[in-house]
Amino acid sequence: MNGDKDTIVHIDNVTKRFGDIVAVDRLDMKIMAGEFVTFLGPSGCGKSTTLRMLGGFETPDEGRIVLDGVDVTRQPPNRRNVNMVFQDYALFPHMTVGQNVAFGLELKGKSRPEIERRTDELLDFLQLSGFRDRTPDQLSGGQRQRVALARALAPDPKLLLLDEPLGALDAKLRGQVQIELKDIQKRTGKTFFFVTHDQEEALTMSDRIVVMNSGKVEQSGTPEDLYFRPASRFVAEFIGETNLIEGKVRGRDKGAIVIDWNGVDVRGAAHDHQPSEGDHVTASLRLENVICHPKKPASRTAIEGRVVSRLFKGSRTSLDIRIGEQEDAVIRAYMDAGNATQIADDLLWISWEAERLAVLRD
Amino acid sequence: MTRHTRILMSVIYWAFVIYLFVPLALMVTMGFKDSKFIGFPIRAWTVDWYAAVLQDTQVMSVFGYSMAIAIATTLLSLIIGTWMAAFLGPNKFRGKAILFALACLPAVIPGIISAIALRIFARLIELEPGMLAVILGHTVHNVPFVALVVMARLSTQPKSHIEAARDLGADSIVAFFRVTLPYLKPALVGAGIFCMLLSFDDFVRAFFLGGYQPTLPVLIFAKLRSGMSPEINAISTIVLIMTAILGLWAERSMRRLNKGSPQ
Amino acid sequence: MTFWGALLQNGTYQAVSGALFKTQRRQFVILASLPLFWIVFANLGPIVEMFWIGFLDSYPPKVGYEPQFTLANWAAFFQDRVFIVPFFRTLAFSVIFTAITLLITYPVAYFLAKHVKRKNQLLFLLLLLIPFWVGEIVRTYAIMILLGNNGAVNLVLKSLGLIDRPIPFMYTGFSLGVGIIYLTALYMLLPLYSALEKIPNNYLEAAADLGAGAWTRFRRVTLPLSREGIASGCTLVFLISTGYYATPVLLGGPRSTVFAETIAGFFHVAGDQWPMGAAFSSIMLITTLAVTGLFLKLMGRGGKGMMR
Repeated sequence: MNGDKDTIVHIDNVTKRFGDIVAVDRLDMKIMAGEFVTFLGPSGCGKSTTLRMLGGFETPDEGRIVLDGVDVTRQPPNRRNVNMVFQDYALFPHMTVGQNVAFGLELKGKSRPEIERRTDELLDFLQLSGFRDRTPDQLSGGQRQRVALARALAPDPKLLLLDEPLGALDAKLRGQVQIELKDIQKRTGKTFFFVTHDQEEALTMSDRIVVMNSGKVEQSGTPEDLYFRPASRFVAEFIGETNLIEGKVRGRDKGAIVIDWNGVDVRGAAHDHQPSEGDHVTASLRLENVICHPKKPASRTAIEGRVVSRLFKGSRTSLDIRIGEQEDAVIRAYMDAGNATQIADDLLWISWEAERLAVLRD
Repeated sequence: MTRHTRILMSVIYWAFVIYLFVPLALMVTMGFKDSKFIGFPIRAWTVDWYAAVLQDTQVMSVFGYSMAIAIATTLLSLIIGTWMAAFLGPNKFRGKAILFALACLPAVIPGIISAIALRIFARLIELEPGMLAVILGHTVHNVPFVALVVMARLSTQPKSHIEAARDLGADSIVAFFRVTLPYLKPALVGAGIFCMLLSFDDFVRAFFLGGYQPTLPVLIFAKLRSGMSPEINAISTIVLIMTAILGLWAERSMRRLNKGSPQ
Repeated sequence: MTFWGALLQNGTYQAVSGALFKTQRRQFVILASLPLFWIVFANLGPIVEMFWIGFLDSYPPKVGYEPQFTLANWAAFFQDRVFIVPFFRTLAFSVIFTAITLLITYPVAYFLAKHVKRKNQLLFLLLLLIPFWVGEIVRTYAIMILLGNNGAVNLVLKSLGLIDRPIPFMYTGFSLGVGIIYLTALYMLLPLYSALEKIPNNYLEAAADLGAGAWTRFRRVTLPLSREGIASGCTLVFLISTGYYATPVLLGGPRSTVFAETIAGFFHVAGDQWPMGAAFSSIMLITTLAVTGLFLKLMGRGGKGMMR
């Protein structure tokens, strides 16, 4: 029933409703042991509800949650071998750092010497040894976050849940903690289930990102997959900045899909579905995948355009380029600031690898 | 605000302070008067009345009786009041507003009516007037105060604290004792001392629910009815000092409520 | 193993805890059990029983006599001036004392909330709190010493040559008023203070900026915004002051008998006439709650009118 033996969690067709609102809609997903999975999405998309169902704080209305081959759907949080790092860390204010970390071990019925040993080990691992006797209010934000992590890791959970644990940190610290967190995950070999609304965080740390929207999975894949080969308009727009191109499929040319975009033929590729001729489609093209040529290139697929506005952004310049005569047929692209000055009369040619223009399913 | 009104208001404030303190100061002073007759002028001073009170076995036993009632009342009120707060505070359900109003009822019913109702009720449940009846009466009166203070504190506890405890292996009971109760501690100390004061100072319930053994306020009342005497002043002064100390302690621990919010 | 670890790993405990908290609903029922029992048993029980006894012709039960249902206890109240006069006197006294308390404590609370520096506020407030921790009887006694014929006030007046013979303050409505206000002022002061303290100072500055004078600012800004404090302070003081028994006995006289003394008489002095005492208590409870309910309703509506 639990499929391949590397599956640590199976979210089996789970639905959760709050009144009339469907928070999670028939979610079906497997998480592999040792994986860093991030659930990404706007607030209210169902990612936190999924996390809370894994932790045992919500019970699914339909479906099952299988943890390491055992159905835990109706088990309370204290009976699951899953631990959580809370958004506000939820460190117990009346206990010292050491007592916080030892808490889970103590309740598991471990002997005193074992509690001591494991607490020391974790404090050492997270560079908190000097803070053992401090209370949480004597720590900085980053230190608190590490204590919360140590406390959650102490009982040696099968799955570690992290509920936007970097939200309370300032921007500068966040980047550093992202690297630390990824490093800790690698060194412990634990399965991390990370929830965030911050796309940058997700791209930096994850082995796999699951983008959720209105209770459903929009796309699941590696960070590169999601960024360069978005499957849906939502994913393309939620992660990074992109050009959306709408048109009719005209046919195929050497494996590329040719789309008629305001009378201009553009080439793209579809990744998880195959549109047929005559379909109306939307495609995504990342700004950095557009190649700008100040002089007309040899390539026959290059398209002529006119710069309608430019924004100087330091090392590079972002250009809005109009194709043909239509007002809204505009592509945004990046260009080296130096090269941008070589454009004469605002006239230039753009091209891209057909692979980079991802035809979306909606 | 003009300067005149500012000055006027400060005068009113200090006049009010004098109004509050002068009667008590007079009462304390009169306890040192070397005469059985209460009133001015005072010509000679003595501490004999205090010595007499401390040697008076009746006063001392009444004192102990009142203390015992106050302690029992406080423990009961804390348990029931905290449970009440845990029920009425975080949960949402239909009819909560009505239950909340009913829970607070004993705190606002005029004292005499509350005492009479409890006297009749004690007869119904066949509770003889005496210590247990007084403890019941005081507990009924005090539970709403405990519940309100604890509820206020409980509302500031992040939900995630309990969830974290559950996540780390605690069931509801252990999570309450290990995480919620320590969080409530300052509120419980404050509410507890307040309960002690309410119980120790209460007259009307102790008067109607008590048996032959009086509590301290009932004893003072009985002595007053048969005439004022410096002995009463000495007893009252001792009570006053004790309550002031208890009150200051309660105030100190309640003040930590405002500071001691987590993280 | 620690105590809590051992407890949680204990098989029997696990079974019991697992059964108790199996579902959210069951957990809620357990949590609700004691509070619901307490509310019904301790808060409602005595009141309901009191009402019920008011309808019986004899209580406590005598051997060989079955108490009969009667309305006589309730009717008796309206038939005798001995009952009605103290009743309305109590209501009138309480209203007057409440009003005076409000007038005295409002400036005190305002001074505390708006003129005392924030870090000193607690100290100033504490100074007022200390006397209120002292019990009813002791404070009543203190007022007796203050107002007696040989009391401090008369001593001062005499030594100033203003009077020859002491003024008999004691055993009058006046001495009762001084005592009751002394006992209840805090219940007015605290709600007023917390309401006034919440008013941001920049509201008053904004009003001043728009050209409002001191009186207008008070009437149009401060007063409406402290309405809630006034309402709860007055409610508390009214309800509490009607309930005093020892203070009227000690400070009042034959011409200031209050209803609490009338009621107590049925239980102590005039033999045991519990049913009548119960009926009268019920009448008083209904009246006081009705008066405060009406008052709170008026405050709610009147306040909105003031804001316009």
